[in-house]
Amino acid sequence: MVFSSIPFLFFFLPICLILYYLVSYRWKNSVLLFFSLVFYAWGEPVYILLMFFATAVDYCSGRLMERFGKKEGMRKLFLVFSVTVNLSVLAFFKYADFLIGTVNGLLSASIKPLGLGLPVGISFFTFQTMSYSIDLYRRKVPMERNYLDYLTYVSMFPQLVAGPIVRYSVVNQELRNREIKKEEIQEGLFRFMQGLFKKVLIANQAGALWEEIRALEAGGASVATAWLGALSFTLQLYFDFSAYSDMAIGMGRMLGFQFPENFNYPLSSVSVTDFWRRWHISLSSWFRDYVYIPLGGNRKGTPRHLRNMLIVWFLTGLWHGAAWNFVLWGLYYGILLILEKYVWGKTLERLPKICGHIYAVLIVVVGFVIFVFDDMGALGRYFLSMAGCAGNTWWGEEFLWYLFNYKAVLIVAAVLAFPVYPWFKRKVELAGDGIRTGVSVLAMAGYVVLFLVTVAFLVNDTFNPFLYFRF
Amino acid sequence: MIRKWTALLLMGMTLVLMIIFVLLDKKEFSENENRYLAKLPAFDMGKIRSGEFMEGLESYTADHFPFRDFFMGIKTQTEMLVGKKEINDIYIAKDGFLIEEYQKPENTERIGNILKAFAGELEGEDLEIRLMLVPTAVYVYEDKLPDYAPRRNQMETAERIYEISGIERIDCSGDLLGWQASGQNSSQASYRDSGKVCYAGEGELYYRTDHHWTTLGAYVGYTAFCREMGLEAVSLEEMDSRTAAEDFRGTVYSKAGDYTRKGDVITTYTNPLDHLTVKYVDTDETSDSLYNMEYATVKDKYSLFLDNLHSLIEIENETSESDRELVLVKDSYANSMVPFLVRHYKKIYVFDTRYYKQGVSEFIKGHPGVTDVLILYNMNTLDTDLGIRGVY
Repeated sequence: MVFSSIPFLFFFLPICLILYYLVSYRWKNSVLLFFSLVFYAWGEPVYILLMFFATAVDYCSGRLMERFGKKEGMRKLFLVFSVTVNLSVLAFFKYADFLIGTVNGLLSASIKPLGLGLPVGISFFTFQTMSYSIDLYRRKVPMERNYLDYLTYVSMFPQLVAGPIVRYSVVNQELRNREIKKEEIQEGLFRFMQGLFKKVLIANQAGALWEEIRALEAGGASVATAWLGALSFTLQLYFDFSAYSDMAIGMGRMLGFQFPENFNYPLSSVSVTDFWRRWHISLSSWFRDYVYIPLGGNRKGTPRHLRNMLIVWFLTGLWHGAAWNFVLWGLYYGILLILEKYVWGKTLERLPKICGHIYAVLIVVVGFVIFVFDDMGALGRYFLSMAGCAGNTWWGEEFLWYLFNYKAVLIVAAVLAFPVYPWFKRKVELAGDGIRTGVSVLAMAGYVVLFLVTVAFLVNDTFNPFLYFRF
Repeated sequence: MIRKWTALLLMGMTLVLMIIFVLLDKKEFSENENRYLAKLPAFDMGKIRSGEFMEGLESYTADHFPFRDFFMGIKTQTEMLVGKKEINDIYIAKDGFLIEEYQKPENTERIGNILKAFAGELEGEDLEIRLMLVPTAVYVYEDKLPDYAPRRNQMETAERIYEISGIERIDCSGDLLGWQASGQNSSQASYRDSGKVCYAGEGELYYRTDHHWTTLGAYVGYTAFCREMGLEAVSLEEMDSRTAAEDFRGTVYSKAGDYTRKGDVITTYTNPLDHLTVKYVDTDETSDSLYNMEYATVKDKYSLFLDNLHSLIEIENETSESDRELVLVKDSYANSMVPFLVRHYKKIYVFDTRYYKQGVSEFIKGHPGVTDVLILYNMNTLDTDLGIRGVY
């Protein structure tokens, strides 16, 4: 179920919240678990068993780790067991066919693909549940005694299918003991609405532009149009993904949980290093804490550091999807980050800030072209179009058509990609009482109007994709 | 304080819409959109697994959402406000026109081959077979499209189909363009002679709010037909014209969702010389008119031509100028052209191959009186609707 859909907004979420608020604290986890399972079973009626299995394995490993609390060897054994099971599940369901395809291609073999559908959200929930096992092994979190609470944590519907990747250590207190305040419900609702508006009014529109440009025949897109297409996909992906995080964080607050922030205006970065501090923060910090640092990070000399970087970025790429373009995309960033660290990072810092912005945006936009085409041939052709080597012109009338027809969403998206909203908020807070009240009345009227417009777009919807089906 | 009330208002709106949705009687058919609305999908494990159930549920909730027409209007007004010139695949064109896009054709080869097979079956029969592929407004009114709107040439696709099918063509695209150009050169042009063909004056070739050509457009198509078949076209002056409806808001209007627009005028023409018997074979009804005026009072007014959809209609003209008989295989564009054609044929058999399943070529072989065959489709529905499959 997509958050930005009528069944979710007008049935699932209100009914879930009403019941959740009506029952006493003792039963809140049960209500949340029940609705989360319904939410998941809706999309994955069979693979839900897989989630039960993975969580049961980690829960049991956790208990056993505690049981043998004094024997380091045994604890390590159960950790290895838990991580192995999780990674195997992920590898089997997500990567088996990719591997078979690659082997077939390399050895011209003809192994039959398994044709398993990818269980929704598997990359998110396996990473969440692994964070528990590893943190428990490191004695950073207490053991979870109640399996149902543990399952509630992993399956919690706001973040189940598209993140943020919430670590057990972040919510374990709240899981047992949380307070639901009226202000939190109210602010959570506004956060959710912001996400909803971003998804429906910006991401879907930018996505429609991208789909139009992508569908152009080879040579039909001028260089300017090809770049506009790449930019529109970048905007779609950012607004879509961050909107999902906004909605998840908002719903989390309404339920009494504080989820971590996942995006911090990544398109306003001044370098690639900066970008990865701001983009999908819960994923990059997961790889940092559970892969990069355990491998030794940058503390064991340059060769080890280079190796660690490449491993982490290979895995980051692969995490995004079982196809070579994702691996390429990951390595592209690995190499750029290495270059920034060892070659031009210092120079970049000395240049005016605007150079950094342009540099970062260019790299990100080009990167997402690699990201979007899982067919290497199509990727190559698109790059040729962007370079003006596809027999296309520099610019054509079709560029003006797309630009004029989508000018509103392009302008709004470009402005909101920068931190103007928090800047404006600060300005207003410092202003006088009159202005503050005026702005807040306007803002509230804005929420109501935008809500109606969003519903109108959903009622008349032809384009409302779900981008994370591969993760 | 105000934040609190706004939050409560948003929650209240959600709940009220939810309750209205549950209580509201669900309509089966939307007159505004001229289509059947989605039904609640049946609960089925296979459909849940394939995602079909969820999609069905989304369509169902969207189709039956409270105040659906109001919300669709809001969406269109918002998009127009921010300067979008293309909404739901409709161009917001100049001079008040809403023009349906021409999507990339997907079935050109297939259609050509179907037609070729159909012509092959009739080989050896003594028949004049013609194929007439009519461009839609997006081709003829290219200069009314919004600035820089992408163009895809319908007649190139038509050319390809003419070639593959091998059927002799009647190309009225030049006539339509010619009429359009002359109308622009002199806004006062009332009647204008062009060889033997008499063009009618003011008026448009396509409706502003519908995907069909107007009666005038159909007349221009008819003159092209006459020229190619060596017939003398009846001039419009000789016919009785009548304004059948003045507030026709057609399919394109509904699709675009801009409900502030005015409707179109529908004109009908009748030749006083004709004496007709119109037999709707599938419903076993008979009429003496090509028009069913009951449709003039409902939303779907174009259906007044030839009573909307029928698999087979037999039209007999006692006073026709010849004894020839025509088989017309067509989509709805032909419905407004038939009133001109009847002058020249003793009998016209009108087939809608979406519904007629007994094989048109068998029918022709069983009716030795048939002398002419005309296949008439517009370039949009030809590709998207594929009704033509029924011909073979």
